[in-house]
Amino acid sequence: MINVIDYVPGTTVLHRMNPVAKLGLAAGIIIATFTADTYPMLLGLLALTLVLGVYAGVFNRLASLLKLLVPLAVVMFLLQTAFMRTGAPLVFWMTTDGAVTGSKACLRLLGVALPLILMLTVTKLNDLANACVEKLHVPYKYAFTFTTALRFVPIFGQEMNAIMEAQTARGVEYDTKNPFRKLTLMLPLCIPLLVSSVGKADATALAAEQRGFYLRTRASSYKRYPMAPMDVTALVIAVGLIALGIAF
Amino acid sequence: MAPIIEMKDVSFSYGASSQVALDHVSLSVREGEFVGVIGPAGSGRSTLAAVLSGAIPHHFHGQLYGVTYVQGLDTCEATLTDISSVVGSVLQDIDAQMVASVVEDEMLFGMENFGVPHDQIEQRLVQTLETVGIADLRHREIATLSGGQKQKVAIAAILAMGPRVLVLDEPTAALDPAATQLVYDTLRRINRERGVTVVVMEQKVAMLSEYCDRVMVMDAGKIVFSGAPHEVFAHGEELRRIGCDSPRVTRIYNRLVADGVVPAGSPCLNVSEAEQLIARALGGRETAAAGSAKAAVVSEAALPASSPHAPAPRPKAEGAKPAVSFEDVCFSYPGGGASVQNLELAVYPGELVGVVGQNGAGKTTLTKLLNGLLKPSSGVVTVAGLDTREAPVSRIAAHLSTLFQNPDRQICRETVLDEVAFGLVLTGTPQEEARERAQRVIERFGLPAEEAPFSLSRGQRQKIALASVVVMEPEVIVLDEPTSGLDYRECMTVMETVSEMAERGSAVIMVCHDMEVVSDFAERLVVMAQGRILGRGPTRQVFGEGDLMREASIAPPQVTELSERLARTISPAFAGLSEVDDVVSVVEEMVAR
Repeated sequence: MINVIDYVPGTTVLHRMNPVAKLGLAAGIIIATFTADTYPMLLGLLALTLVLGVYAGVFNRLASLLKLLVPLAVVMFLLQTAFMRTGAPLVFWMTTDGAVTGSKACLRLLGVALPLILMLTVTKLNDLANACVEKLHVPYKYAFTFTTALRFVPIFGQEMNAIMEAQTARGVEYDTKNPFRKLTLMLPLCIPLLVSSVGKADATALAAEQRGFYLRTRASSYKRYPMAPMDVTALVIAVGLIALGIAF
Repeated sequence: MAPIIEMKDVSFSYGASSQVALDHVSLSVREGEFVGVIGPAGSGRSTLAAVLSGAIPHHFHGQLYGVTYVQGLDTCEATLTDISSVVGSVLQDIDAQMVASVVEDEMLFGMENFGVPHDQIEQRLVQTLETVGIADLRHREIATLSGGQKQKVAIAAILAMGPRVLVLDEPTAALDPAATQLVYDTLRRINRERGVTVVVMEQKVAMLSEYCDRVMVMDAGKIVFSGAPHEVFAHGEELRRIGCDSPRVTRIYNRLVADGVVPAGSPCLNVSEAEQLIARALGGRETAAAGSAKAAVVSEAALPASSPHAPAPRPKAEGAKPAVSFEDVCFSYPGGGASVQNLELAVYPGELVGVVGQNGAGKTTLTKLLNGLLKPSSGVVTVAGLDTREAPVSRIAAHLSTLFQNPDRQICRETVLDEVAFGLVLTGTPQEEARERAQRVIERFGLPAEEAPFSLSRGQRQKIALASVVVMEPEVIVLDEPTSGLDYRECMTVMETVSEMAERGSAVIMVCHDMEVVSDFAERLVVMAQGRILGRGPTRQVFGEGDLMREASIAPPQVTELSERLARTISPAFAGLSEVDDVVSVVEEMVAR
């Protein structure tokens, strides 16, 4: 099973950049998305993310994420237009103001989610954790917690899948067309999932301790993450993007 | 040599419970030994592993008495980190142990933490990968590896830290026989080349008897036997009583000794030893040609009565409609992966059919096509008269029950009674009747009806899952690795229940790695490899087809291999025997003459 945040191997500049620089660039795009208030800027930032995705060869991942996000964005748009009552009437219940705020909110949603996923698909989690510890002086404990949590997502996904299959085979109607019925049927599954995840988390803690987790310091990592000129360039670009976002 | 591990009168109980997990255990392990620990479920093996690796008392809490030394360190006084630099521990759940997404990073983690000088890391990394035999996997994503490869990565990552002892808790529970053997070859290499002491908790006795210097047997928190495999497996009767399996050839030896045919001495542990033993016992009495016809007749007649496990021919109505049929079925996963092609299969009511093959041969895909979780991309799968493409899974479930490998994936109710009745309720049986039927089955299995399933032991939970299948009285039963993770006794309970249901008219399809179980219970076999059915036929006959077995990379059960060899070297009377009792009675016939 392929997960959206799994690492996609490659040798592009995006792959080779320092993880901290990638994080900076993603943060730059996200902050700019929040501060930007014009369509050209919002669309431009979104396009930039997609172009970077195509360049790094991970466009498929972004596309599959878009499949999930676009329906969510549409729901958000409809809600926004329903609550925003100022401005001239447009069609049905929508007003011009509502349509503008709603569509910008949608663009922001996409603009915030995509850069993060892009960054994660071109960075190995270990590199991200180690680089953050080395360069940003993040305590390893937090970096480890974060990467472990991300690593558990697909594992729990598989576990959930296996549980659903077992229950379906027993006759629980997960193949029902009614989404509400499906949801009520899924609730009891929390029990087996919770039992297995608590067990797994405990085993992980034990295994990490038995492999010297508490001895680890900032100097432990064998790999080093120096900042190269391209990383500095990326950070400068990030700052530039934020400035543009504030301006437009 | 000084012992590297020493336990003196150690007792342990989890939490405040009065039940002791370890009961006055004393043992010592010399440096460089390869020790195997066997015992039924709940005998304290995992607890012993936890004590040896320092997880008790540092991670699991409870009441601990006695003292444990690893390389002179008292495990109660040393920190877990210090203990770990001597004792490397490979957990049962390797997914939980992994910290990285790429093999190289996984290897680095421990070395970095324990402060291996950075100029030595590369060399040690390369050496360790070579010792374990996975140098080609260095840059691979862990998620893309097979079960056997993952297990080796887990071992390599621990080994790279340079421990003097490796403690492994059921390292091969999820692996097929071929991958299991490779893992054991690796452990032997680590043990011999690096002098690393290996302690392994294991169910697969035939494997242990081949690889270990010493076997310890645990029962109810005590070590009841400890010694070289030849000594320990001589106690076949006692082992069986506490719920431990012995290699099948050892059972032949023990029976022959008990019947006074061969003198008591050192038991045979593998096929070659058994062959020699029987050759000696017969002392050239029988040449290949003479009297063979007579012997064959005698043994044929002796078969059904003397084989308690032998699948007796079931009353199969001539011309009955098959309960399950596959007609030219193909399926492939959208993202690639084990696809199956042109499957043809018919299973009749009352039959127990085994499906065997390596991991990735398409066996699990076959089971999912059966219970409707997957729909064929071409061809037709019919289950109890329902076309799986048209009937929803929940309707198929009223006719077909699946016993899954891991019971914890299906348990979701608050009491055992609700859990067992759940399947019936789902398929439309009225509450009252469902609970009544569930109650009867629960009583038969001796389960506590009002307890919460998750408060029971793993073996009990497996029984709940089994009870949930039995209560459905299904026309078709699908078993996916029914015996993995179970001890000998639990495995027999499951299999005997299932064969009873077959006798009452259910069609059973069983996917299983354990060839001994398959040969004991399945009357017909389907051999799969690379998504195709390579061969099929009566169990004894299929196991006898050497070429087919090799093509599918299946090691035939010990007794089949033994009887094949004996048929070639001693007498054709041995040809086609697959049961311990059959071989014993043929040998005794010959000796008597």
